[in-house]
Amino acid sequence: MTRLPRLILVGVRTHVSYMSRSPIEITFAVLVPLVYATLAVYLFRAAGDPDRLLTASVGAGLMGIWGSVLFGSGGAVQNQRWLGTLETLVVAPTPLALVLLPITLATAVIGTYAMGATVLWGVLLFDVPLDFAHPLLFLVAVPVCVLSLGMTGLLLAATFVLLRNANALANPLDTPVWLLSGLLVPITVLPAWTHPISWALPTTWGARAVHAATSGGDVLTPLLTAVALGAGYALAAVLVLGRVERRARAAATLALT
Amino acid sequence: MFRFRCRLLGFRFHASSRLLVVGGAISYRALFNWTTPPMFIGTLLVGPLLQVFFFVFLGRELGVADDRFHLVGNAVLAASASCVYGGTMAVANERRYGTLGAVLLSPRRRVPLWLGRALPYVLNGLFVSAFVLTVAALVLGLPVPAGSLPGLGLVLLVAAGACSAFGLALGALGLRFRDVFLVSNVASSVLLLLTGAAVPRETLPEWMRAAGELLPLTHAADAARGLTAGAGLDGRLLGAELAVGAGWGLLAVVLLAVFERGSRRRATLDVM
Amino acid sequence: MLAIEADALRRTYTSRTGWPRSRRTETEAVRGVTFEVAPGELFGLLGPNGAGKTTTIKMLNTLLLPTSGTARVFGHDVARDPVAVRRRIGYVFGGDRGLYDRLSALDNLRYFAELYGVGARDQKRRIAELLDLVGLVGREKERVEGYSRGMRQRLHIARGLLHHPDVLFLDEPSIGVDPVAARDLRRTVADLAAAGTTVLLTTHYMAEADELCDRIAVIAGGRVRALGTPGSLKSLVRERDVLEIEAYGVDAERLDRVRRVPGVRGVSAEDRGALQTVTVQTGRGASDLHGPVLAALDGVRIGRVTSREPSLEDAYIAIVEEATGKSGSTSGDVHGGVHGGVSEGVSA
Repeated sequence: MTRLPRLILVGVRTHVSYMSRSPIEITFAVLVPLVYATLAVYLFRAAGDPDRLLTASVGAGLMGIWGSVLFGSGGAVQNQRWLGTLETLVVAPTPLALVLLPITLATAVIGTYAMGATVLWGVLLFDVPLDFAHPLLFLVAVPVCVLSLGMTGLLLAATFVLLRNANALANPLDTPVWLLSGLLVPITVLPAWTHPISWALPTTWGARAVHAATSGGDVLTPLLTAVALGAGYALAAVLVLGRVERRARAAATLALT
Repeated sequence: MFRFRCRLLGFRFHASSRLLVVGGAISYRALFNWTTPPMFIGTLLVGPLLQVFFFVFLGRELGVADDRFHLVGNAVLAASASCVYGGTMAVANERRYGTLGAVLLSPRRRVPLWLGRALPYVLNGLFVSAFVLTVAALVLGLPVPAGSLPGLGLVLLVAAGACSAFGLALGALGLRFRDVFLVSNVASSVLLLLTGAAVPRETLPEWMRAAGELLPLTHAADAARGLTAGAGLDGRLLGAELAVGAGWGLLAVVLLAVFERGSRRRATLDVM
Repeated sequence: MLAIEADALRRTYTSRTGWPRSRRTETEAVRGVTFEVAPGELFGLLGPNGAGKTTTIKMLNTLLLPTSGTARVFGHDVARDPVAVRRRIGYVFGGDRGLYDRLSALDNLRYFAELYGVGARDQKRRIAELLDLVGLVGREKERVEGYSRGMRQRLHIARGLLHHPDVLFLDEPSIGVDPVAARDLRRTVADLAAAGTTVLLTTHYMAEADELCDRIAVIAGGRVRALGTPGSLKSLVRERDVLEIEAYGVDAERLDRVRRVPGVRGVSAEDRGALQTVTVQTGRGASDLHGPVLAALDGVRIGRVTSREPSLEDAYIAIVEEATGKSGSTSGDVHGGVHGGVSEGVSA
């Protein structure tokens, strides 16, 4: 069974290098998060919170990772449609879930460019001190957070296969997830009825782990929760995809551009 | 915050106004990617509304500015999704559909042709801003004096106009460069940062504040905040917004003319 | 065992238009298509645009579910057992799309080799083999965006062959390809068939179909209108001769007069500027009809008059015009008897 890891590895490598060569992907992965980072740093500074500048930079990086997963995974299917490759992917004897997982993981990997860019930007422009509470755990937390977001992306991709206008769902899903996952603002400021939604999002736990690694606190519990939730989402995606693919074959939505 | 991935139109006067209105309306339907109901509602209405909530809660947590500041600022900014991307699509999508060459072969005058294309986005932007402002104010309980409504309408209209002119100027780059949506995506993030919709401009460094003065929406956002607070319409701010819009409109027309001429020399029209 | 069996395949598309009150419109793209392809056979699917060729191919290659009817590829049902079918088929379509153009040909092939289950050990050899087959050796490390259409098409074919498919579906592979590249493509396809791969090909080029295909099905309006070897299709119109007359100013009345000449089986006229080409299909050996036909055209200027044997294209046009009922204005009820005795058994 060396085929599965190899399939995922080759798939991730292929899509990361494909996306890395696209100016628009790089803009989203690097330039737009830098604007968020600038915005966050000035807001936190104005709030008289200079101790949390690193939190602001890291938060902006997380916003970038989510943006990349959301648009990358939702757009993954749409992009393959535009490229005309979706049909060749579906005709392959590999189950669709295993075709799409590397794509969603690749979008998350591209998202890590955002984290690197925002932290570096903070250090270079705003003298944000790199005083991570757990520097090593931070280096573990970010990739694991990325992995769990990539698996979440698979569920997004699964539901987006059927939709011609995946962007219609993706565009408004940007900010509420930032808000509900506490990427920049702790979820405690939100109304209590929103908390169950927050707890159900792997982004919440991934962000909590990354923030804890930055400014102190328990890293492992939220990290493991994020992975468990992500795996759950991926499993749901596999179940959904079986049905989705059959419906797409019935509804003739694969070739539509 | 909004992203478009590409991954996205006696005899003299009468004919020009027809080109302006009819041509503009048809090109809106042909080139704007977001006219389907789910796209329109999701991207132009729900998205900006959620963005208002994000910044209001961020503002409450950090205590930098009050609800009114973020709510009104982001509602005015909501027009940018329609106007900036619309303006860009009005020119750049011609390239995507391979119709740019056919349009440029038209013997018609360019100013009504291009400005007509921006017109639907102005109305679209006005509608979006008004919707977001109304719903957000009702949900978050922000009182808006009834007497300020006509003034608010005027401010939002001028804001949408200035922003569409800005979008058209970016779209003009589409005659010259391939990946113009990249520019419009960055531009709309820059609007978020520099117009003071999300961050109080007094917290920004001097040069960013100066840049904000030259961008659309900055003055309109301030004027709208004043109106909702019951302070009456500030004519200076409205005039400033109008001037900024006129400036971008002029730049758009000049850029379109320059790039059209240049495109024949450089043969960049059909490059996809 | 048969390579492909299509039995009464039907496919309906449902689309919704309008908002807020949407209307459902149903389009019947394929209305009961039946044919069989033997292993190793090169089978052609011809038909006008929108005839249902691509829909038929997509039902056979598992991309679309049939609305009714069944299809099997080497015994595996395409609706119930798609993965087993996918292991045995390759799918190649024409045009520029369907490749990762910011990646090199090599990266494209490596990726698809993985997806198509080519073993890690065999990949390198297989990719080299295919690059050689399609003549891309030496350019495999360049990004696909710099490739010409012909090169992209060859890369498509290499991609479709990675896993040694038993059946290859080629959907208009020669579309937009220059004549020299199209010739190379035909040779590649012929070689594949000679080596035992079953090929199902759609094309608009009659010469291509005539040269390559063992058998041809002509589809129009979602139904098979004729099925047989290129020779048998031509024989449908073999009992005819074709008389081509260049003329100036032929009107409907004169065409009707020609149509009434005993022995004339069909008349059509095509304008080319001031010149018209009147094509008269007559019974076999009807050179004696020259006189009466020209007499019927009395009063107009006549240019060159030639008579020739019918080609596959004449047969195709006769079949399609008969099927689409496009005979009224100029051709009359010319093409009777096209159906008779066309279907043959599988020539395995």
